[in-house]
Amino acid sequence: MKRFFMVVLAAAMLASSVACAQTTAATTKAAATDAATTDAATTKAAETEAEATEAVKQDITITYMVSQDWLQDAEIELGAKFAEETGIKVDYQVIPSDQYTNLLSTKINAGECADIYGSQGGQFDIVSQLNVVKNAVDLSGEAWSSTVDPLAAAELSVDGKLYGQPLGDLSSAWAIAYNTKIFAANNLEIPTTFAEFMAVCEAIKGVGITPVYECVSDGWHHVLWFPEMGAAFEAGEPGLIDNLNSNKTTFASSPVMKQSLDQIKEMVDNGYWGEDYMSNAYADAAKNFAGGEYAMVVANQGFGAEVEAVGGELKASDVGYFVIPLVDNQILNVNPVGPSRFIYSGSENIDAAKQYLAYIAQPENLQYLIDNVSKYNTLPFSGVQDKYSDIIKTFYSTYTEHGTVLQTTVKYVNPQWMEIGKEMTAMILGDESSDDVLKNIDKNRADQAAAAKDENWAG
Amino acid sequence: MNERKSYPMYFVFGALILYVVLCVIPGVIGVGYSFTDWSSYSDTINFVGLDNFATVFSPEENYLRYLSNTMIFTVFTTFCKSIIGLALAVLLTKKIKGLNIHRAIMYMPAVLSTLIVGMIFKSILNPQSGLLNAFLRSAGLGSLALKWLTDSKIAFWSVMFVDIWKGIGYIMTIFIAGIMAISPVYYEAAEIDGATSWQRFKSITMPLLMPTVAVTTVLNVLYGLKVFDIVYALTNGGPGYATEVLYTGVYKEFSKGRYAVGTTLSSVMFIFMIIVGFFMIRMMTKEEVEE
Repeated sequence: MKRFFMVVLAAAMLASSVACAQTTAATTKAAATDAATTDAATTKAAETEAEATEAVKQDITITYMVSQDWLQDAEIELGAKFAEETGIKVDYQVIPSDQYTNLLSTKINAGECADIYGSQGGQFDIVSQLNVVKNAVDLSGEAWSSTVDPLAAAELSVDGKLYGQPLGDLSSAWAIAYNTKIFAANNLEIPTTFAEFMAVCEAIKGVGITPVYECVSDGWHHVLWFPEMGAAFEAGEPGLIDNLNSNKTTFASSPVMKQSLDQIKEMVDNGYWGEDYMSNAYADAAKNFAGGEYAMVVANQGFGAEVEAVGGELKASDVGYFVIPLVDNQILNVNPVGPSRFIYSGSENIDAAKQYLAYIAQPENLQYLIDNVSKYNTLPFSGVQDKYSDIIKTFYSTYTEHGTVLQTTVKYVNPQWMEIGKEMTAMILGDESSDDVLKNIDKNRADQAAAAKDENWAG
Repeated sequence: MNERKSYPMYFVFGALILYVVLCVIPGVIGVGYSFTDWSSYSDTINFVGLDNFATVFSPEENYLRYLSNTMIFTVFTTFCKSIIGLALAVLLTKKIKGLNIHRAIMYMPAVLSTLIVGMIFKSILNPQSGLLNAFLRSAGLGSLALKWLTDSKIAFWSVMFVDIWKGIGYIMTIFIAGIMAISPVYYEAAEIDGATSWQRFKSITMPLLMPTVAVTTVLNVLYGLKVFDIVYALTNGGPGYATEVLYTGVYKEFSKGRYAVGTTLSSVMFIFMIIVGFFMIRMMTKEEVEE
């Protein structure tokens, strides 16, 4: 009897699995029939050009892995339109920013990455960290590739081949966005030295407002205070950048770098970052800034529009900008490198992924992004119209001297961005000194250089 | 034993082959890679002797801190889960109203995904908007509203608290099974002799529960030594390096493409776990009482 039941049970299992498979097949077939019917109906009504588009409609889902701050609602909307037009759906895999770099590297190293992945560009890093020649698809042949800003393209190319597509506004500088109303109400001027900046912070703190909004838990934002000072470091110690790249000097032996870290610590110790800087998130920066609880934040020039979008009393024109005045810096920090889209070379949907990138790069879609993403003022492609406001134009014209940031000019800095964040956090919390931070940056650089078999670090 | 009734040795071969291929060989290969410079930056792999072990045990690196954090985590969570789990198990084997509901409620956190628990507690423990601090402030206990996950002095304790909250139900269930397996005859006899509840617990429950204690301790210790997900979900090792444990270190080494250092850390932990597990089982089963 028992054996009989076992046989019946086994037969039932087999039958059910076969039935499931048949159902799936039937469903697929039904879906295909529906799709075909829809296609046929659409085709009748469409023009010849649309017919061509329908002909390539595919039932594919591509995956796009991206850090949370790099994906905008407007792009998701474009993704939906793209799916309507081509049948290719985009599955956006949005990862918390503090976990993104590790997860991306792990996925690439494990050989199972998403079809499209977001990553920082940079001519050094896309080779040493991403190994794009192996892990990304050459996009040089794409029609849109010639429309990418040459400076941005150079940072995404290896041996003349373009591997990435910039995904954000690269024209913006990470500067200090400030509430002009708070400054005016307290008769404060834009500081031009660190001492003046501290005096401004003290005055703002004195009226019960937290001077600076900072968000350490994100892991990346508080790091900006340091590498964005690259041009100031070079100005303070001429030849520093070249010597760092040729391994003739170290971070730990640079007085100006140590001074900048000590000044950051001084700011925090004086309470200018407030009480909640460890748990704040950059995603809430505009909301908190618009609420008038904070007077300043390190942000790019789209921040004013983001603040206005919150819907409070503060308008974009109430948000001014000045360069980060650590080590008395007065040089505008520029960076042709930013987050970009790459197609994973191991993807099974390379053609579909290329279609997505081509779709995003269409001038009308780039303009849609500029017009609908408040923090974008322009995108690094030809044929788009920027939306710089007067206050932003004033900011750019205030600083005549421009210099490139450390993470772009010095090798093996950008890949350890999150590690630098941890080091700086440990310093802020008093667990490490500024010397320790610089020594550990040197050590991480040496590790990466050794692994990359960099000649300058040999021996 | 009748040899004809026992299964022949070759019956074990199928399972053994699978185990060796899927577990033993990858493990041994992993240990082997600890002696190389395997990384994502180079296609060649060279033998480097004990270099990676020197790196792992170097006082200039953070790995020893990861190791000590892992040990603290293991000892503290094992102790708390065992004590609280046992107390709850004793309570929930009494004849009380809604017994199964109580048991289900206590067990519920154990069935939740660690990542979901992490996200929920990240929100609850947010110093500004979190439920816990909001409650403390509304109860007039604002001074106790701390930065649970962002203060380097208390973040690790917060992580351990969440892990204990999540793990108690599972340990409690094992203890309940152990207590239920103890024959009521002993308790009846002790009651007739006039033994108090504490004496009954001390002289009957505990000695007869030792095999279960051994099992739960081994489970807790091994879980603690290889903890990763709860730390990853709650703090990702931060603030700074305050809550880094060994396996978050392994993960980060792997993500940096330094496979060899990652496998070295993993190998160190593997050997350590074998030694700890072996001695613990021996020590705890030595004084077991046979019913």
